[in-house]
Formats: sequence, structure tokens, C-alpha cells
Amino acid sequence: MMTNIIIETKDITLYRNDSKIFEGISLDIEKTKLLNIFGRNGSGKTSLLKILTGVTEPTSGIVLNRSDDETLYEKIIYVGHKSGLKNNLTVNENLYYFIKPEEQNKTTKIDRALEIYQMMHCKNILVKNLSHGQQKKVSLMKTIIADAKVWILDEPYSALDAESIKIFDMTIENYIKQEGSVVVTNHKKITENSWSKNYQLN
Amino acid sequence: MKDLLQIINKEFLLVARSGYGVFMPVAYLLIIMILFNISISFVDKKITQELIPLMIWISCLLICILNLETIFKEDYEDGSLEMFLINKKNIESTIIAKIFTHWVSSNFPVVIIAPMVALLLGLDSHTAMILFISLLIGTPSLTLIGSIAAALTISLRSNKILLSLMVLPLYIPILIYGTNAVNNSYFGISYQGEITMMILLFILFLLITPFTCAKALLVALD
Repeated sequence: MMTNIIIETKDITLYRNDSKIFEGISLDIEKTKLLNIFGRNGSGKTSLLKILTGVTEPTSGIVLNRSDDETLYEKIIYVGHKSGLKNNLTVNENLYYFIKPEEQNKTTKIDRALEIYQMMHCKNILVKNLSHGQQKKVSLMKTIIADAKVWILDEPYSALDAESIKIFDMTIENYIKQEGSVVVTNHKKITENSWSKNYQLN
Repeated sequence: MKDLLQIINKEFLLVARSGYGVFMPVAYLLIIMILFNISISFVDKKITQELIPLMIWISCLLICILNLETIFKEDYEDGSLEMFLINKKNIESTIIAKIFTHWVSSNFPVVIIAPMVALLLGLDSHTAMILFISLLIGTPSLTLIGSIAAALTISLRSNKILLSLMVLPLYIPILIYGTNAVNNSYFGISYQGEITMMILLFILFLLITPFTCAKALLVALD
């Protein structure tokens, strides 16, 4: 049977300094689905994402790679609270070094991402001179330019203005249509539809 | 290989953008040597001649510790460390690329300048050459050892003191071999043994550092 599950977690529990963060979480990351993990501050959203990406080991329980791709983790794009951008490089350079060297058409990819987020005028500006929201947008652009299977995004909506949120939602929708899967954390529920669902952490 | 070159390219661009930091180690070396010479000016010239290469070696070792913490610090703070640890590909080569660029930008200038300073202070050219060779082989090992300690202490807010305490005992064998090689050369005794040992130590640390660092960084991010 063809399965659509890419990453599966079974009954994972995480303890930090002897205090429980969360317990018994079983969830699946599915192909062509958006998973919105929401919960109050301190409910362990970031920790859960780190477990999904394989950086942190859960105290108990397992995380399985259920896709047929051994190199799945190379194809995860993770955007965390920290932007991952170099302050002393321009927007263009930051995005350029993010693309794998063997890939072609680097400049067209970067230009397309800049156009989608309407930031063409910032192309040659150093990242340290951008505002917080603009930096966030540049780090989200990485999702567009890289060739990835899963996007794992930690609070992507913070610091974005209404228009940018609209653009960002559109890029998620396009990506899901192209067989991608997305995990985001959020402080609120989103309206569910055929390709998106919520998961509450508490 | 292409990945490695791209990372090295990026790191050098970052060094070039970071301002005058590159000249600091050389400035430190010059300051130490000037102060050293002023303070021992009343000692017999013959004794100071013996001490100069050893003093230069010790200064280079201390300068090496000075900015060890910067190897992974910036990547940790801006979040790019997380990203390359998640994409499990190329962790080791990225680490080697980082250590290499760190060594080239902050130790290599010192390695070049140190024998010149020694020559200016009246050391014979053969010993200056051995000083250069011993530093060229010795300082990469120092950086490799230091990078493990830097990776382990990265999540601590003020890690400088702990870092120095961790690496100093590990630096002593290399210091002994380095200073012995230079000293033997000064007195015209064989120094090949010391140089060979330093090459062996370098190869040993080159082999174990990438894996140890990768593991240490994962622990630190946990």
C-alpha cells in the first residue's frame, strides 16, 4: 500500500531538567498536507519541531522516516526563530550561498523569490540594515529557492505584516500542490480544509 | 568537493567583511615581542637570543586561544548552525571548512610574521626557518583541539574562561614538541623527531576533530 506519511512519531515524550514538556505525542507528517501545531507559550512547540528534524532526541518514543528516501533530512528546510542569515552579507549573497553549488539558474531562482515577496529593491542591501520583518521574509524565501521535500517552520507568521502573510500563505498553497509537505507552529488555530489540519499541544 | 569550496568561499567573504579583526593577532604578537624585549633588555644578550624563539612560540599559542570561541559562535547565534546540523549532509566537511578558514584568517598571519620578528631580533635564519615550520605544523593542531572545546562550550554564555581551561592542558604536548624543535635547531642538535611527532599529532587531530565536533555541536544544541 502506498503511504503518504513522510515522518511518523510514536508516543514521544520530552523531559527537560526533570520537568515534563510534553507526553505521548503521536503525529504524522503527510505528503501534500499542512500541519499546524499550535499551543500556548512554553507548550514545547519548538522542542517538538527540533525532535521532528532530528536535532534533539526525545526522552522516550521514536521518530520514523517513513518516506522511501534515505536522504530525507537533507531535503528538510528548517526556519527557526533565528533567521540563519549572515548580517554582513547582502540579501542576494545570503540566498546565493543557500543554494547547493551543483544547481543551475541560481540568479533566476533568487530573482523569482525576491519578486514573490516584493523585495527586489533590497537585493543588494546588507542583511543587518534590514528591519526584523524584512529579515524574516528573507529567511522564508529560502523555502522557495531550495529544492525541498518538507518545510518545517517555527512561528513563520511572527513579525510579518498582513500582506506578507497573504504572500506566504500563497507560497505554502503552491508548494502543497507540488507534492510538498509543511509543518508550522503557531499560537492559534487555522481553519482546516482538505489539505491542512491542526494539532494542539498542551 | 563543490560544497566544500562554496563554504570556504562564504567564510572568506565573511572574514573580509568583518573589518580589522584579522590584524588583531599580528598586533598582539608584535606587542608581546616588543614588551618582552624592553623588559629583558638588561639580561645578557646571549640568553635573550635563546629565549626569543621560545617566547614567540608561547605567544603564538596564547594568541591561538584568544579567538577560538569565534569558530562556531556566529553560526550558533544566527541559527545557521541548526540548519546545517539538520541537513545531515556535509556536517564534517563544513566543520573542516570552518576550522580551515579560521586558521587561515587568524593564525596563518601570525605564522608568517613570527619568523620575521625572530629574524629582526637577531635569530639565525636556519632556526627562524624551523620556527616557521614548527608553527606551520603546530598551530593547525592547536586550532583543531580548540575547535572541539569551542563546540562543547558553545551554548554557555561566557565560555571564554572555561574554554581556555579546557584547551591549555591539551596544548602542552604540542608546545613541548614545538619549543624543543626550535631549541634543538638553535643548538645545532637533531630536531626531526619533534617535527615528525608534530606532523603525527596534526594528522591524528585532523582525523578525529570533524566527528568529535559534530557530536559536540549536536549535544550543545540539544
